[in-house]
This record gives sequence, C-alpha cells and structure tokens, in this order.
Amino acid sequence: MLHQVADQIFNGITLGMLYILIALGLNIILGLMGVINFSHGAFFMLGAYVAYSLAQHMGFFPSILLAAVAIGVLGMAFEVLLVRRLYGRIPEYTLLLTYGTALVFEQIVRRIWGDDALRYPDLPGWLAGSITVGAYAFPVYKDVFLVGMTIAILAIVWLIINKTNIGMIIRAGTRDAEMVQILGVNMPLMFTAVFGLGSFLAGLAGALAAPVYAIIPSLASQWVVLTFVVVIVGGIGSFWGAVAGGLIIGILSSLMELVYPPAVELTGFLIMGVILLVRPRGIFGVEGLFE
Amino acid sequence: MPKARPWVALLSVGVAFAVLPLVMPGGTLDLYPFAGPRFPVHAGFIDLATTILIFALFALGFNLLFGHTGELSFGHAMFFSLGAYATALFTKGFDVYVGALRLVFAGASNAAAALAVSLGVVGLWAWFVARLIVPRSSGIYYSMITLAFAQVIYSITFHWGDLTGGEDGIQGIDRPQLPGLPANWLQDSNNVYIFTAVVVFVAVAILYWIINSKFGSVLHAIRENKHRARFLGYDVDKYRVNSFVLSALFPGVAGWLWTYFQQSINPDAGSIDYSGRVVLMSLLGGIGSFAGPMIGAFVYWDLQNRVSGLTKYWPAAIGAVFVLFVLVAPTGIAGIFEDLRRYGLATALRRIFSREARFTSDVAEELPAHRTGS
Repeated sequence: MLHQVADQIFNGITLGMLYILIALGLNIILGLMGVINFSHGAFFMLGAYVAYSLAQHMGFFPSILLAAVAIGVLGMAFEVLLVRRLYGRIPEYTLLLTYGTALVFEQIVRRIWGDDALRYPDLPGWLAGSITVGAYAFPVYKDVFLVGMTIAILAIVWLIINKTNIGMIIRAGTRDAEMVQILGVNMPLMFTAVFGLGSFLAGLAGALAAPVYAIIPSLASQWVVLTFVVVIVGGIGSFWGAVAGGLIIGILSSLMELVYPPAVELTGFLIMGVILLVRPRGIFGVEGLFE
Repeated sequence: MPKARPWVALLSVGVAFAVLPLVMPGGTLDLYPFAGPRFPVHAGFIDLATTILIFALFALGFNLLFGHTGELSFGHAMFFSLGAYATALFTKGFDVYVGALRLVFAGASNAAAALAVSLGVVGLWAWFVARLIVPRSSGIYYSMITLAFAQVIYSITFHWGDLTGGEDGIQGIDRPQLPGLPANWLQDSNNVYIFTAVVVFVAVAILYWIINSKFGSVLHAIRENKHRARFLGYDVDKYRVNSFVLSALFPGVAGWLWTYFQQSINPDAGSIDYSGRVVLMSLLGGIGSFAGPMIGAFVYWDLQNRVSGLTKYWPAAIGAVFVLFVLVAPTGIAGIFEDLRRYGLATALRRIFSREARFTSDVAEELPAHRTGS
C-alpha cells in the first residue's frame, strides 16, 4: 500500500512538473497581456510531435531543445500575425481566435502525423534505467531527469523575471502595460518576446512529455483545460501560483487513482471549486488583477 | 437600438422556420445550383433542418449571456448535455447504486414531464454554478471557469457508465406520444421537424420577450458598463445570476429536443467542441443582434455539412472561419448587413477592411464591454 502511494506521488510529481511548465507559459502571457491563449495546449501537443520527428534524426537532447525552440518561434509568429491584431479589443475575442487556431493546429497534426498514437523512440541508455533506493526503484527519466530539468528551467525563468531588466519590464507591464510603453519601452516587442517564451515553455513541456505519454492529437484539448484549472487554482499571473497549482493538482489527481479511479479527471475541478469558494483569486493570485 | 416590433420579428421567424426545410440540399427550393454533399449522419435533408433549429435555440440561449449580458461562457454545452441526459434517463429509466444507496426509476414516456425534469436539473445546476462564479469572476476568468465546470459534466457523463452508458451513451430512446396526435406520429422525420419548429418558435418568442423587457434592458446596461448599472441601483450580480440561469434553460430545452430527435445521446454533447460550436454560431451570425445566432446556426451547419463531405479534416475549416470572423467581421453576418443598410456598400466594405473603423462601429458598441469597465 505504502509502495503504491509513493508510486502515485511520484507519478503526480511528474505530471505536476509538466503542468507547471505549461501553466507557467500560459500564466506569463496572461499576466502581461491579458491574453488567454487557447492554442497553448496545441503548442504543447506540437512540441511532443516535433520532438518525436526530430528524434528520428538526432540525439535526445538536441531533439528536445530544438522542438522547444521551434514552438517558441511559432509562438512569436503567431503573436505577430494574429494575436497582435486584437490588442485593444475585448479579451474574449483572443480566446475565440486562439480557439479557432487550436482547431486548425489539431487538424494539421492529424494530416501530417495521422490519428494513431505514436511512441517516442527509445531513450538513451542512461535515461532508460532506474535507480534503486531501498525498496523503491525510481525510473530515471520520469522521476529524476524530468523533475531536475523542470526545476532548472523554473530557476532560469525565475531569474529572468526577477533579476534582469527584461524581467523588470515584464513585471511592470503586468501591472500597467500602457504606462511602461509611455516610459519608452517597446512593448509590442516585449509582447512578442514573452509570447515566444510562453510558447517555448509549452513546447518544452510537450517535448519532455513525449517519452512518457502516448502522442496523440487530442493531447491539446485534454491538457489545455487542466492548464486553465492549474492557473485558476494557483492564481493568474503568478509564478509561484503555477508551481503550487501544478504540484497540487498533479499529486492529488494521481492519488485519486488509488481512492476512486473514475474520479481522477474530476480532482482538479474539485480543487478549483474549493479554491473559488475560499480564495477566488487563487493561492498566489494578485488581488484585482483580473476581477 | 431600433424599436422592437414583436409581430414583425416573430412573423419573420415563423416564415423562416416554414421555409427552412425547403431550402435544404434536396429540398424543393434548394438554392444551391450544385447540390452539395448530403448530411453525413442522416440521409434526409429534413433532419438537417431539425438540427439547425435545435442549435438555433441553443445558440440563442447562449447569446442571452454573451451578446446581451456581455459574458462569455465557454461551457454552455453542459446545459445542452444535461437537458439531453435528463430526458434520456427519464424516458429509459435507471437503476444505479450511489454507495450503498440504490436509485431506481422505471422510466416514463411523457414529453412534458421529461421537459420539466430537464429544466429542473439544468436550472439547479446553472443556479449552483452561477452562484459560485458570478460574485467571484468576470471577463476571461469567467470563460475559463465555465469551461472547467463543463468538463465536470462531460467527465461525469463519460465515466459514470452505470448511469450514463459511458462513452457509448444511451441508445434506443423512444420518442414520446404527444397528446391529441396519433400514436407513432413522431416516428416520421417531417413531424419531428414540425414538433421542433413549434417548440423552438415558442422558446424564441419567450426569449424575444425577455430581451425586450425591462429585465433585458438591465442586462444591456450591465453589458455596457457594470459599474454604472450598479450606481443606478441595480443588483448587478443578481441580474448576472438570473441571466446565466435563463441562458442555460434554453440550451436545456434544446437538449430535450435533441434526445427525442436523435433517439440517442453520448458525452460528446457536453464537450468543448459543442461549447465552441455554439460560440461560433453566435459569432458568425452576429452577437449584437437578436436573430444573429439563428442565422449563425444555419450557416454553420450548412458549412459543416458541405466541408465534412469533402475532407475528414473539416474542423480546420471551422477553425479558420472562427479566425476570419474574429479578425475581419466581429459583428457577424448581421453586423455586415447592418453596416450595409446604414452606410451602403462602399463604406461598409471599407469598414470591414479597415482596422480603425471597426472599433468605432455603431454595431460594435453593442458588443460586450471591456472586462474591467474602468
């Protein structure tokens, strides 16, 4: 029993790490621009597919990094070509626009890679095994590499946001983008860069998820709603909110697997309901930002 | 806003409902010189017309919230699905355990009672959701949360197999016997259309009355400026809750019709796809006008009908239409006609293709206000 609980907690942490990466990307974009990107789930899915295809031609590390960068560039192009046209309009329209593009992305993926689930090629030897600690065997990729990688990325993003000039602009822009623009910062450029960063994170999460989960087109719609829930639970526009929300939902929904399997999907929504009742702006949400 | 002329409006709706089956592919007034591919699910064009009417009602109900109150629910399919499942379970009965508690219902084929049950279930759930989210959220936050609540319903219908039949749903639901009509009257597709048209017409009349009542005017005031409405002494949150519940009841009725029409139901009815479709229908037709969502339902199904016969990647076309309308014609088909009527062809075209003009369009002023209102 204890073994199973530990198993599920580690599964939950893996899941949580991916949620954190996706939700953080969504959250930075949402916080700075007030744009909710429904295509974020599609970027996650595309990250997995691109990593899969690249892995046929190159090693593991380059394929993951290149996939994430490709999705980041796609995100920037997406912002410049489409999302930008809607600034100044009501934010709901961006949701509708990105919902439409999510449909298009999903069909493009079906056209290129087909409907069947794809399996990521074998991992390099040192990632494929497991480390035994006492009675428990940790799969290296899932429990060590993915977690370590996510923490490293989080540290980098945290440093960018909190310790660099660009981060200062992002934080100020989250409060009042117009004022920052008036102070002489090229905000449109910042928006594009931040959209690229957010998409990069989604693509990276997809690439990291590729060896763990079956790669199918419906990854996009499955994950995007839960990402919304993570953001709502953690708090819109908050770095630590994405971290807390991702871990809580990842671990608790994995534990639900032991308690009552049919309700696994519901766990996140139940947590969201509780959070809405006791703390509507989310655990780390800034009051008044989106009310 | 032009002065409401209820008789003209309702008469037009009635005439449109009467003509609709005739203009379907294969109908006597088929307007398309090149008969497109047939409706993929049902062979008869009359079924396409029935589908359009049911979704027109669904979209009109949704638009009471989006177009008239200014709040985008991205989970309205949950009410459609709840209404449909309530009808299916009421008709077929159920026998399930909830923990140690056994719930049994033999099933009954009374259409009016099924409608009452559907409305009760939908209304209660909508009221619960609205009471929870209305005081706590607005804007895109509201959209995300409604989407999440819709996933709850979707997930329950998908996973509670004992009650809902799981992924396969419930099949073989008998159509009801209507009082005063011969037995098996509803077995005929044409009669199903007539039945649907009558119900939808009544519902449309009720909605028209709601929107043109004082209540509707308060909703418009909230859409334009929440704070000002509050300063005028209206209990804004109470109106938002009521608007949410009302706008959920109409999709509930649509779900009731849908179950009888399809004689089966599965979890897809409550999926994001359906929620998104109904948003698209409203957007296509024009959220700022009363009839917009009905026009949108017609155009949407006609488009899907044609494109899905050409390619299995048809959702991409739906997505592209979404993008096109959001970017180029956010006021929808009704908005384009309104511009044409007011300004003539040349100016209307210029307004469509110039970015600046669209923000100041008179029709655009009837769109939901910015989330903060400040």
